[in-house]
Amino acid sequence: MSVTRREMIKLSAAAFAAAALNIPFAGRTEATGEDQIEVDKWVKGACRFCGTGCGVYIGVRGGKVVGVRGNPAALTNFGFLCVKGFKGYMSMYHPDRLLYPMVRQEDGTFKRVTWDQALDLVAHKFKELHQKYGKDSVAYYGSGQCMTEESYTFNKLWKGGFRSNMVEGNPRLCMASAVGGYVTTFGTDEPAGSYSDIEKARTLFIVGSNMSECHPIIFRRIARQKLKSPEEINVIVCEPRLTATARIADVWLPADPGTDLAVFHCMAREMIKNNWIDKWYIQNLCRFTTGKEVVDFDEYAKFVDQFTPEKVEKLTRCPAANIREAARLFGSQGPTMSLWTMGLNQRTRGVWANNLIHNLHLITGNICKEGADSFSLTGQPNACGGVRETGSLCHLLPGTRPVADAKVREQVEHAWGIPAGTIDPKPGFHTMQMFASLGGERDDSKPIKAMLITTTNPAQSLPNCHKYFKGMQDAFLVVLDIFPTRTTQFADVLLPAAFIYEKGGVYGCSERRSQLTGQCVEPPGEAKPDLWIGAQLAKRMGFEKLIPWNGDNAPENYRKAWDDYRSCVKMTEHSLYGITYDRLQKSEAGLQWPCPTVDSPGTVHRYVRGKDPIMDMPEIVKVPPTALIYFYADQKHEGKANVFLRPYKGAEEPPDKDFPFFLTTGRVIEQWHSGTMTMRVPEIARSQPNAYVEINPKDAEEYRIKNGDLVKISSRRGFNILPARVVKASLPGILFVPWFDQNWDRMINRVTIDAFDEGSKQPEFKICAVKIERFADPKDVADMTIVSRVDDPFPGKIS
Amino acid sequence: MVITGSALFVETGSRESVLKHLKRYPRVTYHASSDSGTELVVNMEAEDLEELENLCAQLKDEVPQVVEIAHIYVNFEEEVEEASFGQKDKRRLKKPKFIDNREL
Repeated sequence: MSVTRREMIKLSAAAFAAAALNIPFAGRTEATGEDQIEVDKWVKGACRFCGTGCGVYIGVRGGKVVGVRGNPAALTNFGFLCVKGFKGYMSMYHPDRLLYPMVRQEDGTFKRVTWDQALDLVAHKFKELHQKYGKDSVAYYGSGQCMTEESYTFNKLWKGGFRSNMVEGNPRLCMASAVGGYVTTFGTDEPAGSYSDIEKARTLFIVGSNMSECHPIIFRRIARQKLKSPEEINVIVCEPRLTATARIADVWLPADPGTDLAVFHCMAREMIKNNWIDKWYIQNLCRFTTGKEVVDFDEYAKFVDQFTPEKVEKLTRCPAANIREAARLFGSQGPTMSLWTMGLNQRTRGVWANNLIHNLHLITGNICKEGADSFSLTGQPNACGGVRETGSLCHLLPGTRPVADAKVREQVEHAWGIPAGTIDPKPGFHTMQMFASLGGERDDSKPIKAMLITTTNPAQSLPNCHKYFKGMQDAFLVVLDIFPTRTTQFADVLLPAAFIYEKGGVYGCSERRSQLTGQCVEPPGEAKPDLWIGAQLAKRMGFEKLIPWNGDNAPENYRKAWDDYRSCVKMTEHSLYGITYDRLQKSEAGLQWPCPTVDSPGTVHRYVRGKDPIMDMPEIVKVPPTALIYFYADQKHEGKANVFLRPYKGAEEPPDKDFPFFLTTGRVIEQWHSGTMTMRVPEIARSQPNAYVEINPKDAEEYRIKNGDLVKISSRRGFNILPARVVKASLPGILFVPWFDQNWDRMINRVTIDAFDEGSKQPEFKICAVKIERFADPKDVADMTIVSRVDDPFPGKIS
Repeated sequence: MVITGSALFVETGSRESVLKHLKRYPRVTYHASSDSGTELVVNMEAEDLEELENLCAQLKDEVPQVVEIAHIYVNFEEEVEEASFGQKDKRRLKKPKFIDNREL
């Protein structure tokens, strides 16, 4: 039977779908998948549009990417992809791509230059600034979207070459509190368990996460469980908006933004009162502490006893009965898995909020068992693998180890082949301090005179962003990106970068899983991989020996950088020495660290004997031979985790008479971060063309606001003008605005607050106080604004 | 032309009725279902991704037993051709003619 090309594509597409769903498919004899679709090759890789780490296959024909399919063998997504996964990559063919290096001229416009001219200029300027103002005058600001090899390389160049710890990245804005939570509770970063716990959990506790939009593939895994066994699976959602995520919940905990510390303590109180606790865990694996002194369990019970459900309801607006039921399900209907993202992290008490979730797991014994884990979902595709694990933050070294630790510095200096004492023991500036310290040479109050920014858009993504524009404008700013952005509008030098599928490399997702993406196609124009740019810069600044992977063969450069990295962390409890490029190329699903040897299968559950190879590696950590579960990174070497008695504290800027509303911000399913890529996919742009403000009908009525009316939303820092979306999803008194929109009137980070957590230094994007007023009748604002040309003028006043 | 391999997640016990509904959609081709009858494998065809989105929205609206639609494979090679650098003007976004005033 002859089959037309269209029928063949249909059958092949159906076969992929059936394979992902594990459904027998008769049509497979005719259309067995990849060989039948006309592509030159399928290249295995990972999606780059959230932290889930979905496995994909990229179809290439005639040197162009022509299709994407989910990888059914990937253990993250089992073949499923979301709208961004399918469509987002099409932005790589948008005509706004930066194709050539450019340097800003005296008249303010950009001029095309050669790579040699651009790199020589950057190297010369950086060297000059180092000489004039010292080693810390040039900063690096990276991204959780860079490949691991790239972050590692820039980190090595700065800390091992320049001897400067002025290294930061945008994961400071999204994940730092999760890091702080894991490190203070368990002694080391990242979750104990894995996504596979979702299918084994009986109760799922989703906190501060609209995962239906932000992590839709993970949400699908949860929704599927719930759909399959609605009576058996319990879902609790703690979130101030009735999102699509909250709609599948058995129990919704609608606490006002920033008040949930009280809810978590109250849940602990109910668990203790009703004996939904695990005494063995408490006795053997928990250490109760105020953070200053160790106390006993009775002291902890007494502490949480003040958080009665009724008192907490008054404080948070979360119904007491809901808290009681949530505590019952969490404590008595386990195994229980918690998952959270920015609602917990982007807070001035983000670390504490993370600690209190861990508390609930520890006192109920819901960790280090199948289906039981305290799991932070990361927001970006490589915030974990690229930035946290490589230590590309101002206070860290590879292996998420503190730069202040002399032994760690010694080990890293040895691995890097640099003289002892090269690495500065003093941490650099965290992100907010770094941008606050950025300025021109004439400004003595600004010690950082230059910054290299890659794969991120701080001019739009920093909270209270206009405060930092002048520093970006006055400093010598070098930006690596694929498109013009609000940040490139301040750049002095633009270096055109390659998209993930034009270079390849490793991403590490939320569950400690490293996955390799192969290079699929060549970059357009003269765009280059970040790794090449970093290595060329190193060469020009005299650090060729430190960063020797500076050839023109991109895959080979990435392999060399990866090998250097895995050797550097070989003898750490984060070891991924056994995760070689060869293994990643062969593996459909990637590998999870710890994976200390090339024959290790990786680790699904950490801290468990028989499952975590580090438990039996005394050369790395000492674990008693009889211990089955042991938190080996415990700073006191007792194998225990800390259960914290954290006092209640609300938001930095709660609503008051003058600014009576909570403002909270977040993502929407269609758009990614500041919209620089997704807004260039027309179908995505049209489906969500502009930001808006969600208002509860009661508030809308009081302010005489109707759907579509333009609303002025003001904080103490700035204002936006946005169309109203009157919905019951937002509770009275709470407004929500998505943050992807580049339009000046709708850049919500002009309104948000830049107060930050004193431990993690992560800003409180999620909560500030605002007021609203009806501004004008409905107007078409679906303008899908993008910064389209490098010479587009910046719209705002810079002061 | 966009062609997908997609999963329709449908309510328990609704498989037959959903299949009956699907006959009204010439651009949706059914292939197989899970043993539980809650997961259906289909192709969806559309001129472009925007039309695909509309088709999904229409299905969810008109067939209430469809809980969710997930695309597992999307073939859109022609779209990529159109998006190539040589057709810059074509690729510029057109401003849609609507004001977002949906009542949710």
